[in-house]
Amino acid sequence: MSTGTALAEPGWAAPDRWRPAAPLWPLLPALVLLPLLALLPGLSHGGGWNLVGRFALAALRPSLDPLVLASVLRGLAVTVGLALLGWALSLALGVVLGVLSARVVWGHRAELIRRLLALPRSIHELLWGLLLLQLVGLQPAVAVLAITIPFAALVARVVSDQLDALPTGRLEALRAAGVAEPAALLTALGPPLLPQVLSYGGYRLECALRSATLLGVFGLGGLGTELRLTLQSLAFEELWTGLWALLAAMLLLERLVGWLRRRWTMPARFGLGSDTGSTGSGTPGREVGRRGRELLLAAVLLLPLLVAVAWGLQVDPASLLRWQPLPPLPPADWAAVAALPWPRLVANTLVLTLLAAALAVGTAPLLLLLVSPWPWGQGLVQVLWALGRLWPPPLIALLLLLVLKPGVITGALALGLHNLGVLGRLLMESAEHSGESREQALLGAGCGPRLALLYGRFSGLARPYLAYGAYRADVILRESVVVGLVGATGLGSQLLEALSGFAYDQLAALMLVYAALTLLGEELSDRLRRRLLSG
Amino acid sequence: MPAPCLLELEDIHVRGRGTPRLQAVSLRLRAGERVALLGPSGAGKSTLLAVANGLLVPDRGRVLWQGEPRARSARARRRQQARIGTLWQDLRLIEELSVQQNLNAGRLGQWGWPRAVLNLLLPLESEACARVLRRLDLDPALLDQPVAALSGGQRQRVALGRLLRQEPALLLADEPLASLDPRLAGELLALLLEEGDSPRALLLSLHRPDLLGGFDRVVGLRAGRVQFDRPLAALDPGLLAELYAGAAA
Repeated sequence: MSTGTALAEPGWAAPDRWRPAAPLWPLLPALVLLPLLALLPGLSHGGGWNLVGRFALAALRPSLDPLVLASVLRGLAVTVGLALLGWALSLALGVVLGVLSARVVWGHRAELIRRLLALPRSIHELLWGLLLLQLVGLQPAVAVLAITIPFAALVARVVSDQLDALPTGRLEALRAAGVAEPAALLTALGPPLLPQVLSYGGYRLECALRSATLLGVFGLGGLGTELRLTLQSLAFEELWTGLWALLAAMLLLERLVGWLRRRWTMPARFGLGSDTGSTGSGTPGREVGRRGRELLLAAVLLLPLLVAVAWGLQVDPASLLRWQPLPPLPPADWAAVAALPWPRLVANTLVLTLLAAALAVGTAPLLLLLVSPWPWGQGLVQVLWALGRLWPPPLIALLLLLVLKPGVITGALALGLHNLGVLGRLLMESAEHSGESREQALLGAGCGPRLALLYGRFSGLARPYLAYGAYRADVILRESVVVGLVGATGLGSQLLEALSGFAYDQLAALMLVYAALTLLGEELSDRLRRRLLSG
Repeated sequence: MPAPCLLELEDIHVRGRGTPRLQAVSLRLRAGERVALLGPSGAGKSTLLAVANGLLVPDRGRVLWQGEPRARSARARRRQQARIGTLWQDLRLIEELSVQQNLNAGRLGQWGWPRAVLNLLLPLESEACARVLRRLDLDPALLDQPVAALSGGQRQRVALGRLLRQEPALLLADEPLASLDPRLAGELLALLLEEGDSPRALLLSLHRPDLLGGFDRVVGLRAGRVQFDRPLAALDPGLLAELYAGAAA
């Protein structure tokens, strides 16, 4: 451990002892709420509150019309199916690409593949979806491929990073013993890699469901489309039918993934705070054998399921090759591209990202502290978080537009609320597994529940939580394109505009700048994360 | 006139898996009284201490604090709780905070939100904390150090310092000497038995009967029942032999 100078870097540290201690770190980003709350009255366009009220009331009485129910269920099935297909393909492809881009496997050639994979990774699935839509028309395969491309690249990165971080002793021993290379790799690196990949894969399945819903909002099929249509036609009762169904599906999936993770004794998602982890299992030897059999069974069952889903959704891979004839395109106008207000676009994108990230990271612990004395409050917050991560950000944005003017802050609020749902759940889960004895000691000394949570649990969680927050900020930067539809949010809205008009010159330039920004953000977030975790 | 009764346990029962953990246990502690709790492993010492500090609610029986039953309202309950200090075997210090912030954690029961948060920005009450450290034979220069950087013996003292800051009327400790070498154990016991500014009752469970010198009373616990409860002077070796008879050490 360092000697308490965690934040005391040059230029930061006050010379004296004014220094926020660890338990306060997770709360510091919440300071962004102050300017936001001050600005909100000016952003309100005055009307729409009655609509918000109607929307909230409709939550209690969703439409139970058989026609609505049938269409919601059909939409949900399509969304889940698309998510499943995209996820499975990306996992398979990602593992292969990950192995190929691991230095330990392929040496310097791996570096090249790694660089190449940065591009698909840096572009959000929505952009892939809309691009493919322009090229091959509306096909179920478009949504599947849109999820597969960036997800496979993300999985590949995690796999190759994990592989390169494994100790190489066993591999070298096998190589020295003359074992054939593929067998040596599989034997030495397979077993330690598997739990990591499966754990990450489970997390990606949850992401895939969110992405499939989002793609639907932009017309690529499934429940998302209906959510957007019912919201835009203000049919709130029908909207809530879809939302509750989606919530049920998402919670079920999260439970299933969590249960499998525990059953197969896999690491928690990001190893967030487990100083007093009590997940030790009695008989590791037998566990591994059982886990192997169950995994095999799951894989065997998954294949026919995937084929059936693909058949049911009429996914036709060949259709991806039948490109639509593009309308005759005007020659590129690079002068117009250069004349775009680049500095403002980039600045708006960054402001949007930072605002949303600070909002999400800081508000989660603040809410947790506020409700900690009341069990019902915790339940309420959990439901709100579930709704937050369930709703695609553009839907939240559309809802906010009922009362707020479009712009960067509205976009940031939408993205922030969505990510608050993701972060909040993670924080609550990790808080349950960390610092329990210290909290108990404080409670036993007459300390109130909030302060016991702050001192007892947050102090240990601060570093890993903020490290995860840094990762989340990176995700938010990528996602900032999806709230482009609320207007004037920087590169995102400009991109969507260029896409709808297929201004290919602008599109190419914007994508390039966006990708560069994303990769830069990824690098920065990685560094921050490593610093936080190394203490 | 005897000192007023601080803690009364009346006819306490705590169920366990199979055999009960505590059966019909009654115990009275007066202000300033120092009581050692003896018994073989599994006798129910830890359970009794958990009932005494309020973390475990017994299945049957009454717990009275200064003649009153446990408060219902959360606020009053916390006020009672703040008068009972516990020294944990695993210390339960907050590794990420400085020594001073850890010492002040003992005051959280009295402090409101603003001070508790301020303490995380700019550690408060340096004078009082330094006094506590000096009393524990520690260098006040340690106040700024993170707890994680301390040695085992120093950590032990900081945990005790947190209790001194809490100023409890009753101090509970579950086998505090178990994992210490003889020298440290002797020092810690002396610190625990030391007279504070105000009379402080002490209830301490011990594994070894050879450290009873400073206590007023000894309670023997076996299989969840009180086997004997008498002044130290009236304790004879036969009683101890009977208490540990047939039990694995």
